[in-house]
Amino acid sequence: MKFFNLLKKELAELLNLQTVISLAVTMAMLMFLGSFMSSTIEEAVKQEYTVTLCDRDKTDFTAELIETLRKNNAIVSEVTSDSEDFSQLLSTAGKDSIIVIPQGFTEDLNAGKAPELISVSEMRSAAMMSNMSNNNDGAERLIRNCISNVFAERAGLTAEDVQLINAPVSISEYTVVKDKTSEVSAEEVMSNIMMQNMLLPIIVFVLIMMTSQMLMSAISNEKIDKTLETLLSAPVSRTAVLGAKMLAAAIVAMINAVCFMVGFSGMMSGATDSVKAEFEGTAINEYIPIDSALEQLGLTLGGVDYVLVGIQLFLTIMICLSVSLMLGALVNDTKQAQTMVMPLMFAAMIPYMISMFADVNNLPIVIRLIVYIIPFTHTFSAIPNLMFGHMGIFLIGLVYQTLAFAVCMFFALKLFKSDKILTVSLNFGQKSKFKKAKKNENQ
Amino acid sequence: MENVLEVRELSKQYTKVLAADKVSFDIKKGEIFALIGPNGAGKTTTIRMISTLLTPTEGDAVVSGHSVLKEPEKVRQCITYLPDEAGAYKNMTGKKYLRFMAGLFSTDIDTINKYVERAENICGLGDRLKDKIGSYSRGMIRKLLLARAVMTKPDLAILDEPTSGLDVLNAIEIRKMIKKLAADEGMSFLLSSHNMLEIEFVSDRVGIIAKGHLLVSGRTDELKARYNAANLEEVFERVVNDNEIL
Ligand SMILES: Nc1ncnc2c1ncn2[C@@H]1O[C@H](COP(=O)(O)OP(=O)(O)OP(=O)(O)O)[C@@H](O)[C@H]1O
Ligand SMILES: [Mg+2]
Repeated sequence: MKFFNLLKKELAELLNLQTVISLAVTMAMLMFLGSFMSSTIEEAVKQEYTVTLCDRDKTDFTAELIETLRKNNAIVSEVTSDSEDFSQLLSTAGKDSIIVIPQGFTEDLNAGKAPELISVSEMRSAAMMSNMSNNNDGAERLIRNCISNVFAERAGLTAEDVQLINAPVSISEYTVVKDKTSEVSAEEVMSNIMMQNMLLPIIVFVLIMMTSQMLMSAISNEKIDKTLETLLSAPVSRTAVLGAKMLAAAIVAMINAVCFMVGFSGMMSGATDSVKAEFEGTAINEYIPIDSALEQLGLTLGGVDYVLVGIQLFLTIMICLSVSLMLGALVNDTKQAQTMVMPLMFAAMIPYMISMFADVNNLPIVIRLIVYIIPFTHTFSAIPNLMFGHMGIFLIGLVYQTLAFAVCMFFALKLFKSDKILTVSLNFGQKSKFKKAKKNENQ
Repeated sequence: MENVLEVRELSKQYTKVLAADKVSFDIKKGEIFALIGPNGAGKTTTIRMISTLLTPTEGDAVVSGHSVLKEPEKVRQCITYLPDEAGAYKNMTGKKYLRFMAGLFSTDIDTINKYVERAENICGLGDRLKDKIGSYSRGMIRKLLLARAVMTKPDLAILDEPTSGLDVLNAIEIRKMIKKLAADEGMSFLLSSHNMLEIEFVSDRVGIIAKGHLLVSGRTDELKARYNAANLEEVFERVVNDNEIL
């Protein structure tokens, strides 16, 4: 079939060695990033209980304190130094955090005063992960507990009393979504949906960018390399030529999306697994499993929802294809090809950014309307809308996208079937080829 | 003899320029017709309308009985078009390109193979056909495209400046090939060129076009006699000058 011949050619143009390699590299990088993140998080979690102590009091009590720390799984290394210069203290110890028990610590305690503890930590970078390991929190907390136990004992309180003072009320957390309730903390729900909801927008964004870029270059390259006229003079319809290009771009974009999905979920699971490991053994396990909590709240997507999301994604790609069809048809040289992708990039970037940081439905009405004019916004807000039962907005979005697609496609086809595809020239300042020809003619 | 092409008052108005103004001419089967004219005369515009790439603002052209307005796809089945300054897909090998183009003209494997084989013989690129087109010289690409334009033995091959970018020897070879295809296979050609020598050698009839008007058309020897000129170049000069005065 002639269409198949066209499609094969378009696919071969898009899927050359270069693109395949870059795709594989991206995937590998994402996977690597995932395992890297999981190892730094593990590191951070482990380091919390590594503590360097400089005991300048040297009493039986401080020795006992250090012993208690050790018993509570802290890896304690001791250094001795009288330096008051903390930076020097850290460098001689070769550590990035240190706790100093100053002289007179036990004395103060015995006098009934709150003794002073000096905690020094070095800051090496502003990266979130790297600073997690720099704190003395774990050790400080333990020491504080020990001291309050001492005070409690003196006041004649039992260990149970102390526990009660520390946790005077027990809080049962409930989260409500519309009319549904589940015994789970809102933060817990948020963090779980976040992980899930961060993945999809990235995929959608990649999909939009890839598809439009590919279709645009598929068309503009024909113009730049001067192959379009030959192709259009062959006994195939322009619709078939276009259809093959659109289908090829969509197929390759899908392949890309799947690769990204695999890469990202590899990365995300690397990150979440180690975070979960951190919470192991803490109170979180007392809650009901998060999955069933999400289900209770109606925050999981059912079969129908997935179909709806699928339809929306399909529409998004079609809009993307029709817009890039038009943009690609306007391109006459390589330089224009690079700038022409900008409108689509912004149209995808704005809703993507907004969806990451805010809920479109909570924006001021004017901004909300403006943002909703961009068809892609509806794609990015589709899953949250479905999750939280904003069915109306979702359906309006679906209808709007269908209309947007119909309009874009109509104009794209019109442009492609007319002379314009061959004669259009956007001249940003430079002199037209035809004007020059005319000038020569007049001479 | 039957007409392969009948151009009837074909006009094209661009936004500002009237690039073709009521151009009419015929091409018979097995005939080689050449459009000659200065730069910007409207040759390419006329050719693009006949190739169904542009829609005429007025008039019609009929190729093998099919109107470019009403049955553009049937017209494209009967013609091949070699654009001026055309390129080919850089990432394909020469052979792949021929195969791809042949696949647009036929769905039958045997026919496709036959087309490709013909093109291979005509283009004379030999083993270089296995290389990517990106590594070809301008002349090689031109030969490849020419071979592809005649491989399907169309009723009418439309060649816009067929020998541009070719050296003298290759140009002569191409001219001979065109003449041979017309004589032996009965193929018809519509050419455009600036090279009067070439046109005089290769074409049976010429049409002189300037500023969108087809000024005269006729057999080369007739025109030479009519304008009392030694060669086509002189005819061209006189015709253009005569009309400039008017
Ligand atoms: N896409 C276009 N938009 C506007 N005007 C055009 C366009 N293409 C061609 N023209 C104008 O139409 C006229 C005829 O151009 P055309 O390309 O047909 O000339 P030509 O005879 O092929 O010239 P050449 O020998 O230089 O190839 C010129 O005045 C040109 O400026
Ligand atoms: Mg021309």
